[in-house]
Amino acid sequence: MSEHSITAAEAAKTDDAHDDERLRDDTWWYGPVAMVAFLLFWEAAVYFADIPELYLPRPSVIAITLYDLFVHKNLAYDLMLTLYRIFGGFFLAALVGIALGIAMGTSKRIHAICDIFVAAIYPVPKISLVPLLVIWLGSGNIFQIVLSALGCVFPILVNTIIGVRQCDEGLILAARDLGATRSQIQRKVVLPAAVPAIFGGLRLALGISIILIVAAEMQTAKYGLGARLQLAGQILETGQVFAILLLLAILGILLTKGQNQLDRLVSRWRTT
Amino acid sequence: MATMQFEQIAVDRVSHRWLSKTRKPTTALAQTTCDFAAGKITALVGPSGCGKSTLLLILRGLLQPSSGEVRFMYGDGSGRLQPGPKPGMATVWQSFNLLPWRTVLDNVAFGLELAGVAKDERYARAEEAIRSVELGGFERHFPAQLSGGMRQRVGLARGLVMMPDILFLDEPFGALDAQTRLYLQEQLAAVVERSGKTVILVTHSIEEAIFLSDTVLVMTARPGRVAARLDIDLPRPRGFDMQNDPRFGELFNEIYGLLRDEVRKSMLSA
Ligand SMILES: Nc1ncnc2c1ncn2[C@@H]1O[C@H](COP(=O)(O)OP(=O)(O)O)[C@@H](O)[C@H]1O
Ligand SMILES: [Mg+2]
Repeated sequence: MSEHSITAAEAAKTDDAHDDERLRDDTWWYGPVAMVAFLLFWEAAVYFADIPELYLPRPSVIAITLYDLFVHKNLAYDLMLTLYRIFGGFFLAALVGIALGIAMGTSKRIHAICDIFVAAIYPVPKISLVPLLVIWLGSGNIFQIVLSALGCVFPILVNTIIGVRQCDEGLILAARDLGATRSQIQRKVVLPAAVPAIFGGLRLALGISIILIVAAEMQTAKYGLGARLQLAGQILETGQVFAILLLLAILGILLTKGQNQLDRLVSRWRTT
Repeated sequence: MATMQFEQIAVDRVSHRWLSKTRKPTTALAQTTCDFAAGKITALVGPSGCGKSTLLLILRGLLQPSSGEVRFMYGDGSGRLQPGPKPGMATVWQSFNLLPWRTVLDNVAFGLELAGVAKDERYARAEEAIRSVELGGFERHFPAQLSGGMRQRVGLARGLVMMPDILFLDEPFGALDAQTRLYLQEQLAAVVERSGKTVILVTHSIEEAIFLSDTVLVMTARPGRVAARLDIDLPRPRGFDMQNDPRFGELFNEIYGLLRDEVRKSMLSA
C-alpha cells in the first residue's frame, strides 16, 4: 500500500479540519490580555511611584470601591434608573424615527414637509435644550427621556430614510410582478431592505443616549450614575469617581457586544 | 356562446419615452406594432439599449407606455378576436431580483404569500416548484449561498409557482457562464415546451432565440420597433445537435444579417 491510497472521504475529512483551523478566529484573546497588562501596569506604577489615592487610585482599590458602592450605597438603584432613562429615550426615538423615516423615505410630500424641520433641529446641540426642557417638564424621568429621545431620533431618522431610498428598484419591480400592493411592498420589501441601515442608526443612537443621560444627570438629577458621579467629584472621592466611570465603561462594552450579536442574528442572510 | 380562449397579445403603436431629471429624455420605443401568439415561445432580439426590457415591462403592465396600447385578445375559434381580461403573468429577471434576506423556500413562496395563500399550501406548492427546477435540498439556503445558475432557477421557480399563462423572461441567462447557460436553456425548454404556456423571451443570443422559440422578432436600434418576424420551423423536441442542421445555419444567417445593420446603427448613435 502506498501513501497515496487514502480514500476521497478521508481526504475530505482532513480538508475540513484544515478549513476549521483557518476559519477559527485566533485573535480574540489579544484585547483582554492587553487590558489585563494595562491594569497590572497601572496597579504597579501607582504602587511604586506612591501616587496619592486622591489623584489616581489603583485598579484594585477601584474594584473594591465599586463593590462597596453596590453593597452599602445602593448603587444598583442608580444603575437601574440610568438604564431606564437611556433605554426609555432610545426606544421612544426608535419608534418615532423608524416610522417617520419610512414615511419620509417613501413619500415625496411628507419628505417635502418634514425635511426643513429636520434640517433646523438636527444641528442644535441637544444639551443646550436642557434649560428649556426643565422649564417645561421639570427635572424628572420624563425630562431625561425626552432629552435622550431628541438626541437619538435624528441618526435613526436619517439612516432609515437613506435605507429606504436605496432599496433596489429591481426588488420592487419583482414584488409588483408577483402582485404586491403598495403596503405589501413597504412591509415586505422596502422595510427589510432598510434594516442594515436602520441598525446603523440605532447603534449611533444608543451611544448618544448614554452620553446625554449621564450629562443631564450630572446637571439636574438626584439619583442616577451621572448624579452619583457629580456628587463623588464634589466631595473629592476619587475612588468612587473611578468606580462609576468603570461601571460606565463596562456598560459600554456590554451594550456594544449585545448589539453585535443582534446585528449578526438579523443579517444572517449576508454571511454564506 | 362558445368559450373564449386567449389567443394573442396585440401591441398597437406603443411608444415610450423615459424621462430623467439628470439626462435628456430617451425615446425607447417608437410606434411599435406586433403580436405574440398564445401558447408559443416568442423571442425578442435586438441591439442592446433598443427597448426590449422596456417593451417587456409594458407588456407585463408594470410600466404605462407614453402612447399606444397593449390588448389581450380572445377568440372563440371563428377567427374573430376581441380584447379581454389580463391573463396571469410572471417575470424572470436578468439580475434575478431575489429577496436576499429570504430563504429559497420563502422567495419561491413570496407571490403566494402576497396573494394570501395559507402557509401549509404555499410551502407545499413552493417545494414542488423548487423540485421541478432540480433545487430540492436547497430550500433553507439564502440566495447569497447559491451560484448564479441556481439563483436563476429560484427565479424561474418563483415565477412558475404562480402558474402564469404568460411567462416573461428578460435575458434570463445573460448573467451566467456559457456551460450553465446551455444547461438552463435545455431545462427551460423542457419545462415550457410541455406546459403550453405563452413565453416571451428577450435574449441577445441568436442561438438561444432559435433553439428555444417558435417565432423570432427582430427589433431595430433605438428608438426600437419590431422590424422583422421569422418563424422557426425546426422540429421539436430540439436537442443540442440541432446546431448542425443546415436549416439552423440558414436561420442564424438571416437573423444575424438583420441584426448586424441595427447593431452598427446603435453603436454609431451611442
Ligand atoms: N428606468 C429608466 N429610466 C430612464 N431611462 C431608461 C430606464 N430604463 C431604460 N432606459 C433607457 O431606455 C432605453 C432602452 O432600454 P432597455 O429597454 O433597457 O433596452 P434593452 O433591454 O433593449 O437593452 C435605453 O437607452 C435606456 O437607457
Ligand atoms: Mg434589457
